[in-house]
Amino acid sequence: MMRRAWNWARARRRKLESDLERELRYHVERRMQDFEREGLNAGEARRRALAEIGGVEQVREEVRDEWLARWARDFAYDLRYAARSLARTPAFTLTAVASLALGIGSAAAIYSMVDQVLLHALPVRDPQRLVLVDWDGEQVASGFGSWDLMSYPICREMDKQKQFFDGVFCRALTRVNFSSGGEFEPEVIEVVSGNYFGVLGVGAAAGRVLAESDDGAPGASPVAVISYDYWKLRMGGARDIAGRKIWINRQPFTVVGVAAEGFRGVDVGEVPVAWTPAAMSAEAIPGFTEYLSPRQRWMQVLGRLADGMTRERAQVGLGPWFRAMLDEDMKRADFPKVSAETRREYLASKLVLKGAAQGHSSLRRRLVKPLWVLMAATGVLLGLACLNVSGLFLARGSAREREMGTRLALGASRGRLGRGCLADSLLIGAAGGLLGTAAAPVALRGLIALLADGQKGTALNAAIDGRLLGFAVAASVAAGIVSGLAPAWASGRRGVTEALRERGGTAGGARLRRAIVTGQMALTLVLVAEAALFARTLERLMTKGPGFATAGMVTFRVEPTRGGYTAGQTRRLMERLEEAVRRSPVTVSVGVEGVPLLTGGSWNDPMTIQTDRRFETDRDMNLNAVTPEFFPTMGIRIVAGRNFDERDEAKAEDAGALVAIVNEAFVKRYMGGRSPLGARIGEGTGPDKKAEIEIVGVMSDFSYRGIREESEMAVFPFRANGGAGGTFYVKVRGAGPAAMAALRDAVRRIAPELPMLDFRTVDEQVDRSLTTERALASLAESFSGAALALSLVGLYGVMSFVVARRRKEIGIRMALGARRGSAVWLVMKDALAMIVPGAAAGLAAVWGMGRLVEAVLYGVTPMDAGALGAAIGLLALAGLGAAAIPARRASGVDPAEALRAE
Amino acid sequence: MKPNSRFPIPQGTLDMFILQIVSLEAAHGYGIAQRLEQISRSVVQVNQGSLYPALHRLEQKGWLKAKWRESETGREAKFYELTAAGKKQLAAEKDSWAKLAGAVRLIFGEGEP
Repeated sequence: MMRRAWNWARARRRKLESDLERELRYHVERRMQDFEREGLNAGEARRRALAEIGGVEQVREEVRDEWLARWARDFAYDLRYAARSLARTPAFTLTAVASLALGIGSAAAIYSMVDQVLLHALPVRDPQRLVLVDWDGEQVASGFGSWDLMSYPICREMDKQKQFFDGVFCRALTRVNFSSGGEFEPEVIEVVSGNYFGVLGVGAAAGRVLAESDDGAPGASPVAVISYDYWKLRMGGARDIAGRKIWINRQPFTVVGVAAEGFRGVDVGEVPVAWTPAAMSAEAIPGFTEYLSPRQRWMQVLGRLADGMTRERAQVGLGPWFRAMLDEDMKRADFPKVSAETRREYLASKLVLKGAAQGHSSLRRRLVKPLWVLMAATGVLLGLACLNVSGLFLARGSAREREMGTRLALGASRGRLGRGCLADSLLIGAAGGLLGTAAAPVALRGLIALLADGQKGTALNAAIDGRLLGFAVAASVAAGIVSGLAPAWASGRRGVTEALRERGGTAGGARLRRAIVTGQMALTLVLVAEAALFARTLERLMTKGPGFATAGMVTFRVEPTRGGYTAGQTRRLMERLEEAVRRSPVTVSVGVEGVPLLTGGSWNDPMTIQTDRRFETDRDMNLNAVTPEFFPTMGIRIVAGRNFDERDEAKAEDAGALVAIVNEAFVKRYMGGRSPLGARIGEGTGPDKKAEIEIVGVMSDFSYRGIREESEMAVFPFRANGGAGGTFYVKVRGAGPAAMAALRDAVRRIAPELPMLDFRTVDEQVDRSLTTERALASLAESFSGAALALSLVGLYGVMSFVVARRRKEIGIRMALGARRGSAVWLVMKDALAMIVPGAAAGLAAVWGMGRLVEAVLYGVTPMDAGALGAAIGLLALAGLGAAAIPARRASGVDPAEALRAE
Repeated sequence: MKPNSRFPIPQGTLDMFILQIVSLEAAHGYGIAQRLEQISRSVVQVNQGSLYPALHRLEQKGWLKAKWRESETGREAKFYELTAAGKKQLAAEKDSWAKLAGAVRLIFGEGEP
């Protein structure tokens, strides 16, 4: 429809222009003839004729101004007229404005999230030239960190490829205990190569940024740049900042400067408070001394493309250098002895360059699909709001039919009346947009809390920015035009006599209104169905649960190595803490494990398995280290074999893991269901990898990275984790807060300087791991609620209108002996005639959105019969409910009165 | 009279002249230009370039309507004619012009008895 209107407008414009052209040509040619008769030659005559009117182009321009002036005058008049007539019907105007405000406000809020998380380019020099370098293939390296990891040495080598890059830097986020003089607090810092700021093109707000010279010999330059926000908020924005001390994991660092205002690192989801050079990584990441090893992948590598270089050309061009580097690397004496297969995969690796104008973020990775789903949902909601306003306009239009007829009779053109309708709806759109934009920050704050909570310190911002405003303006204008199209079309079609003669609405108007309500039903079904799917997903995940006990459980984590403890000290401290917690009167039992659960991360590696034959796992297994009490405390069952005991722990302290307990998924995948007891495993793969760890037990499956994931797992005795910190799981008696206070005291008495990280109930921990799913479910629920309300109002309006128009017919039927029930059925049938095709079209749309939605579902398909059935049932029930009121009115028609009224 | 002694046409009067010319018979732009030239007899200076914007303005105001039809040379030309609203407008303008002219004469003392 938009397209047709557009084409029509273009054709009209072309006609106007060609007519003008012809008209002027006629004039000029006639004048030329005059001059030729006076004896001038053709060229001279032409020159004179043109000079006389001041040039054809000049005249055309002036005529066009006349057209525009007239259009603007009319439009201003239409707007004034629209404003006056809207002010006369405040109830109508408020309903329409509120509908659009709802649609525009929610779309703008979600758009701002999409923009900030997915689209917004970093505030650095020419961000479009930034690329992320990723290793596609086998790296023969062990990794820690989030995603797209590579080693520090390869980053430094790549930085030398100046024909492709204006520089390549690397960075790793790490959690540290941070202090600028006061208490130690858990914060995030970025460990970076020395050229980080230079390549990004970010300067200093005070002092200087890091330079290559800071990233020299390991441990030689304990310097840091702090973030502008930290400087302002926590250090009072002191000018003499350079030279001050800060402490990272109890190691002193000298502040050399403050990063530029507005620069918050390259990850929108996690904002660092400071940057330190990679050469100081042993201090920033306790226990990590191998930052120069090519066998450690822990950093993201980003580069700035050289002038005139494209991503594709750089990727191809890097090929030969990269292959040579792989060859050379493999010839090194310290290259790990791996299987021929792994060597082949290593040599077949490729570098892939991805656009990184937005930097690198795990938050983006987590939210990219949910956000597009939500954007689609708000688009549907906005469409629905437009239809609602269209319906309202049509309803008002049939009430104003005589007014329109009169204006037509007085010589107003149809186009003029149609434009009047558009002026109405544009005004409504503008008002709705204003209101929606005003409400957007509130919605946005809620969204950030809902979607990115627990992600301490994001760069997300709930204020109205230029881009949100731009979106809101575009959405308002589009909504204004879309909701005015149907009424404008309807007003243009009515004849003068018809409009003046008929008293009720015309059949055409009713048909259009039905079509609109049918469309509303379709869009509503889409939103209700998605809400049902997301609710079911959340329910499935909650029902499935993490596979361990959550009620009456409290958890916290300590990282003594970040508090300056050595591995040996940590080991002893962990034992004392465990003992203290066990002795606390609130404790029933306590288990400790190494890598935190349900955070998305894990300790993982491919494994070698030795049974009667020797083989390797086809994918990474998830690994962890636990105390013997971990199992009973967590309610994780030992289904075969035995638990760890004191002797296992004692041996693990000296020799590492000698025994392991695997889960049922492992038995199913690698043992074909046979008992694994007595089989041996080894961490890593390769021909000379020893499989010496004996499987002594089998445990029930439980969630590690997240509730969705089901994976093969093995756990080792706690002391086998090399003296790192750990997560406590405590089964407590009594109320949560009191128990948590008691536990805090117990830990404080032994290690007052150690922060208790992620200190919360296990129920809360499980809840947090489902943040995205919960947010999707609750947002979809509110969208579908709003959608139902909007479309039921529409349906009710049309049915009331239809009943009023058919009073006479119903009266006649009643007079002829029809029962009241049949009058009700007459109306209900009418309602069903909108609900059923609407639901069918909605189902088709749900099917079409299946691919988009599938990625965020769990345990339910996009066309799940139960969920869709429930959605259709709800829609039908609510629809018939809304139609029931007019239907009752129909059944109450008094035949005599209805006939007399005509 | 020398050409440069012609005075430029006062604002708004061009529209009135055009309505007057077209009220006699439907005419195309060139024709109107010729008639303007004849009627004003070099008294007022009409810039031919401003004729067409004026015609379109009057058409948009609904005082003129236009049709394409064959002209005296046999070629198609755009002919303008007065609408009912245009007739009313012309009458109103003539009336107010007469009043203004009377007032001017009065003030300059020419019409005093």
